[in-house]
Amino acid sequence: MTSLQPKMWGERKLPPYVLLLFPAVTFMVLMYAWPFISSVLQSFIISGKEGGLTLANYVKVWELYRKDIAFTFAVTIFNTFLVGVVAVIFSVYFRLRQNRVSALLSAIFKLPIFIPFVVVSQMMNSFLAPHGLLNTALAQLGLVNLDKPLQLFNFAGLSFGFAWKQIPFAVLIIHGGFQMIDNSYIEAARSIGAKLPSVILRVLVPMNKSSIIVALVLVYSQIIGTFTLPYMLIGGKVPTTITVDIAHRVNYFRDFGVANALGVCSYIMVLFTAAYYLRSKIKEARQEVSQ
Amino acid sequence: MKRKSIAMAFLLIVAFGFLAVQGAFAQKSRLVFMTAGDVNMLALGQNVFAPGFMAENPNVQVITIHTGPGNAGSQTIYEKLLAEKKANKAAGDVDVALVHEIFMKWSMDQDLLQPYAQMTNTWKYVTSPFAKTSLGINIEGYVMPLFQSQTAIAYNPDYVKNPPKSYAELKEWVKKNPGKFGYNGIKGGASGVAFVMGWVYAETGKYKKYAVTGPFDKAEVDSWEPAYKALKEFNKNIVITAGNVGTLDALNRGEIWMGPVWVDMFFTFMNEGKLDPKMRLALPEPGMPGQPMFFVIPKNAPNPELSRKFIEYVTSPKIQANEIVIRFNWYPGIDGSALKGSIPQEVFDKIYRDVTPADLQKKGLAFPLADYYNAMLEAYERWAQ
Repeated sequence: MTSLQPKMWGERKLPPYVLLLFPAVTFMVLMYAWPFISSVLQSFIISGKEGGLTLANYVKVWELYRKDIAFTFAVTIFNTFLVGVVAVIFSVYFRLRQNRVSALLSAIFKLPIFIPFVVVSQMMNSFLAPHGLLNTALAQLGLVNLDKPLQLFNFAGLSFGFAWKQIPFAVLIIHGGFQMIDNSYIEAARSIGAKLPSVILRVLVPMNKSSIIVALVLVYSQIIGTFTLPYMLIGGKVPTTITVDIAHRVNYFRDFGVANALGVCSYIMVLFTAAYYLRSKIKEARQEVSQ
Repeated sequence: MKRKSIAMAFLLIVAFGFLAVQGAFAQKSRLVFMTAGDVNMLALGQNVFAPGFMAENPNVQVITIHTGPGNAGSQTIYEKLLAEKKANKAAGDVDVALVHEIFMKWSMDQDLLQPYAQMTNTWKYVTSPFAKTSLGINIEGYVMPLFQSQTAIAYNPDYVKNPPKSYAELKEWVKKNPGKFGYNGIKGGASGVAFVMGWVYAETGKYKKYAVTGPFDKAEVDSWEPAYKALKEFNKNIVITAGNVGTLDALNRGEIWMGPVWVDMFFTFMNEGKLDPKMRLALPEPGMPGQPMFFVIPKNAPNPELSRKFIEYVTSPKIQANEIVIRFNWYPGIDGSALKGSIPQEVFDKIYRDVTPADLQKKGLAFPLADYYNAMLEAYERWAQ
């Protein structure tokens, strides 16, 4: 090793791939890696004060926001599960019933993907309100008493909003995966007597596992990071989501320390799923290369 | 040959065009107007003040810069001016700034502003006590108020015949009418924050110390626990609405009968047909917070006479009447009586019907000093939820 070093320095020749990688890597480091590292660092510093690293921000997070962290986690897990189940059912329907009705439905179903979250939030806000569209419509049918309407500015309403927005997105990915499965597999299963549920559970879902998991990972991390919907539905309530708390710390206190500590909690929540996603993507890429 | 002459002609046109544009800019003086506040303040600067002022002063170009809502927005302006001072910058970048009360405390301590107000021709209309002392410090001469924005309790007179006259009466009312009072907590907008601050003033009776004289005393914070525990009890019989707008919407849809709102939003919603015009306002004892926004001129403003001219324009009875009161429904920064001729009587009566100028003097309180303000918000998270 020591004998090689002077020779390399003497030649001063960088392998060409370093040059090629340089712009992309610099961009990644400056725009993604550095903010991420700096956010983690700042979570150990009390903003506006000199001094070393401290756990004070995390103590405050534990004292004031542990309920909100648990709530965020519960909302996210529940909705990821809900979105997964419903999206698989819809995708199976679109895969197995290919006619005009399903084509039309699947076209309409793509609409929510293109509607921004802030619009969805405003819509849910007036749709789910105690005297909003949903409750007044149910009252017209005699199902709900407007003096005691359904209260939906809570876990239930939030889940409805997330499901409305995220199911179509998940369907887009999962349905794409189902399309890749050749009809012969389904026909083969049918011909030896498989009923619909076992065709779904033992043929379609296992063969499409990777795209289902990718969809769930993306939905999961989007739900954790969403601010507008929780802010506009349950902003002032207790518990609320981490994103609302982060906005509160920054807007009212300019307290980036606690805000970053809350941020770190959400990074941890997405870390495992993100790691899984990356690993499966790398595996896919390797498979493609070897093919 | 032909191609060459076309190229020459093109170059000449570009060169002349460039000179012409530069000439046009050279003649215009630039006025940088930096504003804190929500995006409505940016719109106010860009769509109302700048074009209006430029129409009267064609040689001036007004540039509006927006820093963001709340104290944080004011803090950004303060940090900018302080940095200029530390760098010994003789001619700064900012001509006029529009700021919240807390800014005055910070910048007076650092001597960043110039006294200009008494030199303006609209000084004679300024009677608000907010323009003389703010958060316990003397600011007379350094500010001109643009408007006073105030919170109050809005109610639906169909269900509420005698609105509570104090926080104590409100507590009783809520016990008798569970689920019919709504506010937006402290994370959904400042009308909820103002309601909570008013609650602490009412429970402790220490408005003067918390908002006017200070000083900050950690022991005070610990003494609030019972006040917030009472608020926690109170919260069991109310609903938390979805934001400042959420309270007004819930009131309009009949979901709640009463709730704290910003007075300007209340009237604006009414004018736009988003709120039933029968709704009324009440300002309970000991009062609720509101805040003015102030015009200031930095000490190193490059062109103080022009800055003053801009402020004179915006605080003139004409603009105060047409824009501040009639269009945006704030209480004016200058004395209401100066506007009497300029505002239709029905607008004047509507705005001062439930909350009279005398009520505003007595019960239009200030937000607490910065340290108390932060402590009160955090105490809410600690004890009231």
